[in-house]
Amino acid sequence: MGLELALSTILSPMVLFFILGLMAALMRSQMSVPQAFAKGLAIYLMMAIGLKGGVEMSKATLTPDVLGIFGVAIILSFLLPFLAYMCLRVASGLSRVDAAATAGHYGSISIVTFVAATEALKMSGIVADGYMVAVAAVMETPAIISALYLANRGMAKGGEIAGAERGELMREVFLNASVVVLVGGLLIGWLTGESGMEKVSPFFVDPFQGVLCLFLLDMGLSAGRGLRQGWRDLDFGSISFGIYMPLISATITGLICLGLNVSTGNAALLITLAASASYIAVPAAMRLALPKAEPSIYLTLSLGVTFPFNLTIGIPLYILIAQFVTS
Amino acid sequence: MTHQKQRLELFIERLAAKRAGRILEEAGLTGYTMLPTMAGYGGETRWQRDIDISATREMVVIISIGDEDVMEKALEQLGNLLGSHIGVLSVSTVTVLRPGRF
Repeated sequence: MGLELALSTILSPMVLFFILGLMAALMRSQMSVPQAFAKGLAIYLMMAIGLKGGVEMSKATLTPDVLGIFGVAIILSFLLPFLAYMCLRVASGLSRVDAAATAGHYGSISIVTFVAATEALKMSGIVADGYMVAVAAVMETPAIISALYLANRGMAKGGEIAGAERGELMREVFLNASVVVLVGGLLIGWLTGESGMEKVSPFFVDPFQGVLCLFLLDMGLSAGRGLRQGWRDLDFGSISFGIYMPLISATITGLICLGLNVSTGNAALLITLAASASYIAVPAAMRLALPKAEPSIYLTLSLGVTFPFNLTIGIPLYILIAQFVTS
Repeated sequence: MTHQKQRLELFIERLAAKRAGRILEEAGLTGYTMLPTMAGYGGETRWQRDIDISATREMVVIISIGDEDVMEKALEQLGNLLGSHIGVLSVSTVTVLRPGRF
């Protein structure tokens, strides 16, 4: 069952396109997807996920078990950066600010990893609830607050950066494209329900998997090029962190799921979210709030190491953990 | 009839471009233009706009023209900004046709 699941995930068109992009970049292919097009794809995917999640939410009722999942998700997003920071400070040569910025990425989430896990669950015939999209949305930002605390605690307050505006960081944290499109899509899906979805399904449902393949090809290119250029900035302790941290997060979340009344599908998605690392929302916030942190470190780790690991090996493993803790 | 002015050219990471724009406005420069960039090399790192999904390595160019005293005021603050953010700044003397525009 485990091997079958792993093979069906790895041999899905989405993951194979990702591997194609990764290999092309590692072999120095000049191929690239224009930035504006890639941004459009990302917005399309988030709108589609939000809408579908919202429609599912309109059919669900808010029970204490559902609220429990939301609570656990927020707490995980707040606390996982502290664990990640400790691991990085002990086992790698990263400075305090680099370790804090990197730790923030590992408390936040990767929505593409979440989508890939959702598709892997569908292929395995495992059902997950639509409100898990909202769980993903609430896990985006608490980790950023933890990272800022870790970077600044015990430090004298430094002078303000010229040109910085009051509320600028908060806008980036709470109103970045991922949060706006995802939460907006959820609300629109929730308000319009099935009938609304019927009208837009030829655009948001049928082409979804094909668009995801295209996006993952671009992600593979980004990950491969990031890895090729950024690995020089990382020591063995940092690179291995990109593999063991998702496993630690997955194990902790799996153990928490033992105490929750949660389905296998929802547990698999919660574990995947905890084990994933951000590479869009958090890097932008870190550049504004902690410009001294080196972006090539946290981006290479989250996009070049953790994302490929999760997509190929992590997701089948997280589904197995979910099956084990909910059986 | 031509006139001498100062022309500022600032390469800066896109995420800090708004901060640079605010500095120019507060210093009293009457206008500036931001241009996108494609790719480059600096700080031992090669970057390319089309392969940076996070946009953290993307750079923009800001061009502004103004009087020397206003430019001095802006440069002081831009120096502070470049202490934290990635960027390269240069100022040159240029000739303009319509000084009232700057």
